[in-house]
Amino acid sequence: MSADRDVANDLAADGGSAPDVDAVGIETAAIRLPEYRLSSEAIAEAWGTSHAPGVERKAVAGADEDALTMAVAAADRVLAGDADGTTGGGAASSDTVDPDRVDLVVTATTTPPMEEGEFTPRLVRALGLPTDVATATLGGSTAAGGEALARGLEAAASRTALVVVADCPAGDPAETDHPMGAGAAAFVLSSDPAVSVGEPAWHVEEYPGIRHRERGAETVDTLDITTYQRTAIRESITAATEALADDGGPLAGPGLEAVDAAAVHQPNGSLPYRATGDLPFDPEAVQAGTVADRIGDAGAATVPIGLLAAVADANGEADGADPDGDRRSVAAVFGGGTAVSMACRGTVSVAGVEELDAGESITYDEYLRKRGTIVDGEVAGGGAHVSLPNWQGSLDQRYRLVAGRCPECGGVTFPPTGACRECHERVTFEEFEAPRTGTVRAVTVIGQGGAPPEFAGHQQRDGAYGVAIVDLGEGDDEITLPGQLTDADPTAVEVGDAVTATVRRIYEQEGVPRYGVKFVPEADAE
Amino acid sequence: MRDVYVIGAGQSPFGSFPDETYLSLFETAYENALESVGGELDPDRIDEAFLGTLGVGGRQIGLSSPAVTEHLGLHGVPTTRVENACAASGYSFRSALTAVRAGTADVALAGGYEVMTDTSADQTKWWLGVSGETEWERTSGTTFAGVYAQMASAYLDAYDATVDDLSRVAVKNHGNGAKNPKAHLGFECSLEDARSAPGVADPLNLYHCCPTTDGASAALLASEEVAAEFDGPAVKVAGAGAASGRVGLFQRESLTSIPASVQAGEQAYAEAGVAPDDLDFAEVHDCFAIAELLAYDDLGFCERGEAGRLLREGVVDPDGELPTNTSGGLKSKGHPIGATGTGQVVEAFSQLRGEAHVQVDDPTYGLTHNVGGSGGGVTVHVFERTEVDA
Repeated sequence: MSADRDVANDLAADGGSAPDVDAVGIETAAIRLPEYRLSSEAIAEAWGTSHAPGVERKAVAGADEDALTMAVAAADRVLAGDADGTTGGGAASSDTVDPDRVDLVVTATTTPPMEEGEFTPRLVRALGLPTDVATATLGGSTAAGGEALARGLEAAASRTALVVVADCPAGDPAETDHPMGAGAAAFVLSSDPAVSVGEPAWHVEEYPGIRHRERGAETVDTLDITTYQRTAIRESITAATEALADDGGPLAGPGLEAVDAAAVHQPNGSLPYRATGDLPFDPEAVQAGTVADRIGDAGAATVPIGLLAAVADANGEADGADPDGDRRSVAAVFGGGTAVSMACRGTVSVAGVEELDAGESITYDEYLRKRGTIVDGEVAGGGAHVSLPNWQGSLDQRYRLVAGRCPECGGVTFPPTGACRECHERVTFEEFEAPRTGTVRAVTVIGQGGAPPEFAGHQQRDGAYGVAIVDLGEGDDEITLPGQLTDADPTAVEVGDAVTATVRRIYEQEGVPRYGVKFVPEADAE
Repeated sequence: MRDVYVIGAGQSPFGSFPDETYLSLFETAYENALESVGGELDPDRIDEAFLGTLGVGGRQIGLSSPAVTEHLGLHGVPTTRVENACAASGYSFRSALTAVRAGTADVALAGGYEVMTDTSADQTKWWLGVSGETEWERTSGTTFAGVYAQMASAYLDAYDATVDDLSRVAVKNHGNGAKNPKAHLGFECSLEDARSAPGVADPLNLYHCCPTTDGASAALLASEEVAAEFDGPAVKVAGAGAASGRVGLFQRESLTSIPASVQAGEQAYAEAGVAPDDLDFAEVHDCFAIAELLAYDDLGFCERGEAGRLLREGVVDPDGELPTNTSGGLKSKGHPIGATGTGQVVEAFSQLRGEAHVQVDDPTYGLTHNVGGSGGGVTVHVFERTEVDA
């Protein structure tokens, strides 16, 4: 969208309900959920009971997905604009966002791939953002998602902030794991918003042990002191949210009574209703911002995703979306000691919101395998890994399919190193990004036991996988590269099928996960 | 450029030999090669040796070939290890040929060796996998079988060939190998056996893949003058061709052809002054069944895409117009990587001497075709039974 859009025209067009001229907020947004869903019934069948109240099914990250890959996918969507080209009730969100505009990137997750190790820079590189962009990586509690939004909003008056929250917590399979899902939300925040967001309100109090993960542990734990926890959550959310009504902003005038949708801390599908017990919200409003019932507890990302479900415009098929776009929403994030609430006004087209009600159902044993619960994931036999410096040198190719065009003959070479593939001259290539959709030219299935040693762990979790040689683009821009198929039944993929590139975890070597392009068959793609 | 003759060729048994080493296996091949010479060849007359190996499971990569010649008592002979993956000894043969042609050697030893069965499955996968393109192909999670399977998928999609045609390669080669006492998998198989084998990398199943094998092979090359000293039908190296190709399959224009095979074949035919029609037999690289089909197309045995027909019509059977892989091929005889190229020469030598286990009727011309990796390096040699004019 243009930075100098005609505010007066917008005001006239939507009956004066557009955001204030000096507002900051959500310019455009996207959701990314994994392909797989597990029903709470399947959990109950396995364990005799399900500790996931109000959760009907939850999103499950694939064996090669993690917080980073979901973050990349969500951010890719938000920068690419609305995938289906529909325009929102607010700003022209079908427009792409020029990566050069982004000058602040804030990410949040409680499940970074490495306990210590860069997260946001990988995202920045995968998205091709400027290298002088300011970054912040937040974590430590589920409040991190709210903190990330607050940081982005703070900067949005004068900058364009990309905020990405992605999470995939796991718990003890017999207990705390039952509601735990996965997902990512990405926001472009600026002073040109479709949804204006007021200044966040905070409430900070030490409530240790509501939810925690011990040092070195993979799984989240809870003390399960029911009344204490509910009180902590309700009090904190109430305090932070009531403060919103006092300081004008999007709720100016009617106040909290006018809230159409509330996305509230939701470690399961029932708690938001309890947590808002002291607030004047209708159950329908809470329902509009609740997504844990369909995707489970996506940690720090649950409320941001719920917020996007609440503010998604009619085209985004949000529950009960207000067709005139003048929707008042509240997002209330709780961590353990921090609650942060923010009020929103307006709607925006949210790419990927339909994934809340989509996805492929898997069985409980498939789920345990994908999570790595019942396999050791150890890589045996060394493996022919590409060393980190060499991998680093190919990131533009692995993330963004940067190819080279020969200035002499026009031929395309991928990766763009060495002599030109066409004329065999050693030239300096003109670089370009190949399209991310293409066609399978050759394909096979690597069955159990057949994988190279460094892929054995992945195969244990994901089973037989497909490997294709794919032509991306057409004619003068066409590149060819090999890649794994993902989110697919590999036996169903044939020569000639259409595929889309997505960034996933390739393997882990030297203790460091490596990410790059894999291919999703188009029938299964977004 | 001098004419060059193969005066002797021999191999060890191919198979799984936990009690053998690469040294002892090559010793057997070398002794068999010496014995095949029509008369006594004094080993002191060997001027140079070129020996192929991928790396015997990583145990002796540096200087493994000098270790072999040392073991044979060939003291002081310049010895070069040649590594071009599965085409290692096709290239060692080429190097020996070049040395004799150039006159820097009157007698040269070419050969290869590999020990593949005393490493774990993971180690074997590692060793085979690193011969593919490692930066992109390997990190797509594929294997050697996977790369050939991709070629198979593209070939079956492009042409009138079927999975059954792949199985026919196994049936034919096992039929031949069953008569070869040095073959690794010397049993016959039916089309039904081959059809019902467990999958490896779709569309390839177990019967479409060669085994991993221990073994060694050796050939003695000599100038015409030296060759004239010995008895028996003379086997001349009538034509040689070699080419490199893109290591990664994805880097090639065509996935249904190995361009290096085409180029090497054209060179070898031109040098020998023959056409594919003139051949009486061929030993082609059949590490996976699809490789044999690609070889038919690439070497001009048929029109492109017609390879399946040659199998269905029996053209490549022992009693057909162009018997192929009468040794059993890599599929039945086995594929000890470094030993495969000169192993094919052993069969060509036997055929032209009239001593093969599946003997072709009075052959004059035969061809060997050795592929490294999935086509990164190829050698083709044409052999001719002739008279020595020295």
